[in-house]
Amino acid sequence: MTVKHWFPLALGAVVALLIPAVTHDNYVIQLLNIAILNAIVVLGLNFATGWVGQINFGQAAFYGLGAYTTGIATKAGLPWITTPFLSVVIVMGASLVLGLPTLRLRTYYLAMTTIGFGEIVRLIIVHWEPVTGGTSGLRAIPGINVFGIGPQGQIQHYYLLIVVLGLAASIAARIRQSSLGRAMIATKDSEIAAEQSGVDTTRTKLIAFTIGAVYAGLAGCLYASSIRFISPDSFSGTQAILLMTMLIVGGMGSIPGCIIGAVGLTILPEALRFLGQWYLVLYGLGVIAVIVLAPGGLASLASRLPRWAGAR
Amino acid sequence: MTDQTIITARGVTRRFGGLVALDSVDLDVPHGIVQAIIGPNGSGKTTLLNALSGASHADAGSIRIDGKEIFRLRPHRIARLGLARTFQNIRVFSNLTVLENVKVAAACNSPMSMFSIMLSTTTQRQRETEIESAARQALEIVGLAGRADDRPTQLPYAQQRLLEIARALASKPSVLLLDEPAAGMNMTESMTLLDTIAKLKGKGITVLLVEHNVRLVMGISDRVAVLDFGKKIAEGAPSDVQRNPLVIEAYLGRRHRHA
Ligand SMILES: Nc1ncnc2c1ncn2[C@@H]1O[C@H](COP(=O)(O)OP(=O)(O)OP(=O)(O)O)[C@@H](O)[C@H]1O
Ligand SMILES: [Mg+2]
Repeated sequence: MTVKHWFPLALGAVVALLIPAVTHDNYVIQLLNIAILNAIVVLGLNFATGWVGQINFGQAAFYGLGAYTTGIATKAGLPWITTPFLSVVIVMGASLVLGLPTLRLRTYYLAMTTIGFGEIVRLIIVHWEPVTGGTSGLRAIPGINVFGIGPQGQIQHYYLLIVVLGLAASIAARIRQSSLGRAMIATKDSEIAAEQSGVDTTRTKLIAFTIGAVYAGLAGCLYASSIRFISPDSFSGTQAILLMTMLIVGGMGSIPGCIIGAVGLTILPEALRFLGQWYLVLYGLGVIAVIVLAPGGLASLASRLPRWAGAR
Repeated sequence: MTDQTIITARGVTRRFGGLVALDSVDLDVPHGIVQAIIGPNGSGKTTLLNALSGASHADAGSIRIDGKEIFRLRPHRIARLGLARTFQNIRVFSNLTVLENVKVAAACNSPMSMFSIMLSTTTQRQRETEIESAARQALEIVGLAGRADDRPTQLPYAQQRLLEIARALASKPSVLLLDEPAAGMNMTESMTLLDTIAKLKGKGITVLLVEHNVRLVMGISDRVAVLDFGKKIAEGAPSDVQRNPLVIEAYLGRRHRHA
């Protein structure tokens, strides 16, 4: 690791750790918590979409599956510690059922299948009211509790989530530096050349899709038990598109890009709220500007910075 | 016979709609030789390589590599059996570095376990070191060691072809299929390429060399097979094939008619 690598990392970590010292506003911290959870979900989306190049609109549904599994299980009295496992088992099952038949086919099959899947999950959540609370959602979900120990208050949750995000990002980085990560990108760049180099591209696509689903499922689990309230809106088709936008704006394939995109696009709508309805216009223009001016996403701008600095 | 022959193809046929691109082609390639496949444009050379490597399966026939039937096997399975190839239309991984391109194939026969990657176990790191040294070795052979950290798209065309050869070599193949490796190369580059091919033969690799530039391959090939309209019209030592009237007709006749 060179200075170029660890400096932004260290800077990011220091800023992240200092934020609660600057603001104690619970509303702001809660918003940041959601932003961090979204960042984990987008990091997950990056495996199948950013690296393997498969279009996946199911990520919000996996997020929702994890959240509802956790909400329903803990409200039914199951200990919290079981919920990450339950969430993982359910999203893995769902991703294999979706991925196995479609991933050997062309890219857009997964796109279509995951759109349908998202809609099915939403319909179940909305209509299975006695269990899911329907459109009004689930309230007063029990918090994180590992044998009697758990974070108290927004700020402790914030620190916990930062640690989880750090782990999620470092696992993604490890995968990127491994033969699995290279196989993912090779599959995107040339499926046939990857196959002829010994890469089982179908398996690689399935693994990427499933790891991504697990990221979303675990983020959903933490969402339910740290925000304590879930409703279908948070995991809708609109959310699926928003997650995809975060990935594109941040920078497909870039780990810092995923985090920048997710945090930026989670906070921005709230920051622009004073504009009333006009915020959507500004938001839309901003997204278009990034896509046009920096097709590689915000992360590609950041990677140009050191060069400018060096040129001085 | 079978332990002498590394590629045994029988009746390999491939149709595209009404067009018969390969018409019941038989091919026996002995171990450790350089076998050229020549033929005019559109004669089915690439289609034959695609059938052998599994990139685009034949409709009928039997193909054995080292005695194992590979007909209709998925390409990665064939690759893991020791068959590697390059492409006529360059297919490098543009979002990976030159070194990483080669590493993809160097990992050909190492299973990847999610847990060892996540935990970065000792075996995992050891495997990475092995993959890296195999990849650097392959780059060394084609003379690209100095460009390891560049993007493949930063390389000139001829070097991208060499990168494909390095990538193919990294999987430690016993058979290497090269589809017009000299296309887009100048004379010096082509000569270096021929030296490299000779080196590979020296390492015991069987090379299947597709070319339509007949002169280029004659010196280096032990045997030459000639395709015309999907049929194998001649096969033998380079000097015999060159004198074969059918071959002269296929090349010169066509050229005269088109001219
Ligand atoms: N995917 C395809 N669909 C339809 N026709 C095809 C396809 N691939 C090849 N062909 C046809 O099959 C025939 C053989 O093509 P092939 O590419 O194998 O020739 P080649 O000997 O490699 O020629 P070249 O020297 O131009 O590379 C040609 O007539 C070609 O047009
Ligand atoms: Mg060809």
